[in-house]
Amino acid sequence: MLQLFLIAFRNLGTHRRRTLLLGGAIASVTALLVILMGLSTGMKESMLRSATTLSTGHVNVAGFYKVTAGQAAPVVTGYPAILEQIRKDVPELDFAVQRGRGWLKLVSETSSMQVGVGGIDIQSEPGLRQVLQLRAGTLDGLAEPDTVLLFEKQAKKLNVQVGESVTLAAQTLRGASNTVDARVVAIAADMGMLSDFGIFVPADTLRSLYQFKSDTAGALLLYLKDIQHVPAVQARLRQTLTAAGHTVMDHDPRAFFMKFETVNREAWTGQRLDITNWEDEISFITWTLTALNSLTGVLIFVLMVIIGVGIMNTLWIAIRERTREIGTLRAIGMQRTRVLLMFVFEAMLLGTLGTLAGASAGLVLCLAVNAMAVHVPEVVAVFIMSETLNLAVHPSSILGAMAFITACTTAISLIPSFLAARLKPVTAMHHIG
Amino acid sequence: MNPTASQASIVSITNVTKDYTLGKVVVPALRGVDLEVHAGEFISIAGPSGSGKTTLLNLIGCVDTATGGVVRVAGQDTKQLTERQLTNLRLNTIGFIFQSFNLVQVLSVFQNVEFPLLLQRKLDKAQRRERVMQLLEQVGLASHAKHRPNELSGGQRQRVAVARALVTRPQLVLADEPTANLDSVTGQNIIDLMKELNQKEGTTFIFSTHDAKVMSHANAVVRLADGKFLDRISAAEASRVMAAGGH
Repeated sequence: MLQLFLIAFRNLGTHRRRTLLLGGAIASVTALLVILMGLSTGMKESMLRSATTLSTGHVNVAGFYKVTAGQAAPVVTGYPAILEQIRKDVPELDFAVQRGRGWLKLVSETSSMQVGVGGIDIQSEPGLRQVLQLRAGTLDGLAEPDTVLLFEKQAKKLNVQVGESVTLAAQTLRGASNTVDARVVAIAADMGMLSDFGIFVPADTLRSLYQFKSDTAGALLLYLKDIQHVPAVQARLRQTLTAAGHTVMDHDPRAFFMKFETVNREAWTGQRLDITNWEDEISFITWTLTALNSLTGVLIFVLMVIIGVGIMNTLWIAIRERTREIGTLRAIGMQRTRVLLMFVFEAMLLGTLGTLAGASAGLVLCLAVNAMAVHVPEVVAVFIMSETLNLAVHPSSILGAMAFITACTTAISLIPSFLAARLKPVTAMHHIG
Repeated sequence: MNPTASQASIVSITNVTKDYTLGKVVVPALRGVDLEVHAGEFISIAGPSGSGKTTLLNLIGCVDTATGGVVRVAGQDTKQLTERQLTNLRLNTIGFIFQSFNLVQVLSVFQNVEFPLLLQRKLDKAQRRERVMQLLEQVGLASHAKHRPNELSGGQRQRVAVARALVTRPQLVLADEPTANLDSVTGQNIIDLMKELNQKEGTTFIFSTHDAKVMSHANAVVRLADGKFLDRISAAEASRVMAAGGH
């Protein structure tokens, strides 16, 4: 077997130009795959990081309260009791926070805009401190009532600075208009689409704006020790909360604000809980990831077809050139399977060397891009949820890309290799050419 | 080593025919050939071009199959064997020496000679090394073990081919025009080497040739013409016939 590898290796070395050309093509595709996978994984990680900080936990216990059939509010009433039960039922829980949820008009002296609002207790939000990059002000300011955190783009549009005031205007559950003047205590760096239409205020400020009781929350955001446990926790909570007498809505994998139309059409009134996960809450933007993955798939497929034709062609040429050698080896006692292996090894070796070079180049490029913190245009930042290009490189995905392309090149070589192995020794030995 | 009547036949060919189909035309290459070769013989197959020498060697070497008749090699009817069994028969019983040497260009002299032993998987590394080096000594190429075939002369390459053919200690070695691509002195050396190995090791050699000088070393010359067995004569008789202008 070692000898077959040696023959394969030396044959690649003998036909250096051909090997370099095809190996270079394989390396290019591998590098491209590593970069695109890095971009896709980077986006996913950015999404997970920003989404699970700004708008969702790993698992959310939220819901709607309806005074009348057509008037739903995104609230959970009596949340302390529910939170207590969750702590008992979910040993996988790392920490939980309660957030207020709402939709309001933000008015400054020069401009106004509609935004979603999160009511937070800044002292119990360790995640926010880690993820938000402040451009001005301090997060601790949110501990004071009637304060607000804006994102850079919003502050620019409203033309406000830290210390200045904006007016928060919203409709209460009973249809009355209410306003609160809030002081800007912090301005954070933009975090893509999720930060475009979200602001943070203290939970009590939100409650007073909507005239909610103190045991009312918008959602309970649960952060698990291991994100892999999300499906199990979600299923368990559905059972235990139902058993505790709560009415739990059927699972609908959409963000809460996309459910209003459906919920308002339903005839029930009172409180219903809705248990979702982080992917449900950002499903409206994960299409970008799906689109990128699909594009990567199509691109790699097309390139693999081109490489496949190249490999087949190269092996055909190699087999034509070495037909007499095949005949000789068959004559001196080499079995057909070994002839097949000899050519398969050649393709596999070419694939391995090509992907190794490509993966190394892709890795270096990814690390260089990350180190340079390349800023992306605003329109791109919205989709990748980051101001800078983040190419996530994981050894497993690089090895996976290498294995995938090597397996493809090896599989493609099977056809010509099989035909080489089927050659009759006498025909091959007397081949002229 | 001279054959005796009591020695078992290593090759037995009975009424063998071989036809090639070229489009719609069937070309008979062998027409009812009978041949018996005993272990230890040093036999030459002679005849003009197109007489069927190579076809006969291909059938004996189990690299081709007869259209009709029976070919028995080392007691086995080749028609009854599967492809895998035929390959094993070639590996363990037959050695090949080709007119164009047919060495693997990317392997060294040592690796070329060692290759059949690796296919056999019977000897360990040390035993293989000993066997190969012993043969390279015999053919006078021990000092060239690390060279690649393209670094050798034609005669040296054919010596490597001889060593490769003998490395598995086959009962039978087939050589198709082994001296055709060599100058007369080198060709003579190769034949001397084959003869020496035949006498020392008792290996049976069957080789095809046009060359009367080469033929003169054989124990017997089997003459073919137009795909038919003409006769089996001694080397001296063959030389006389050749001198008289016949094949």
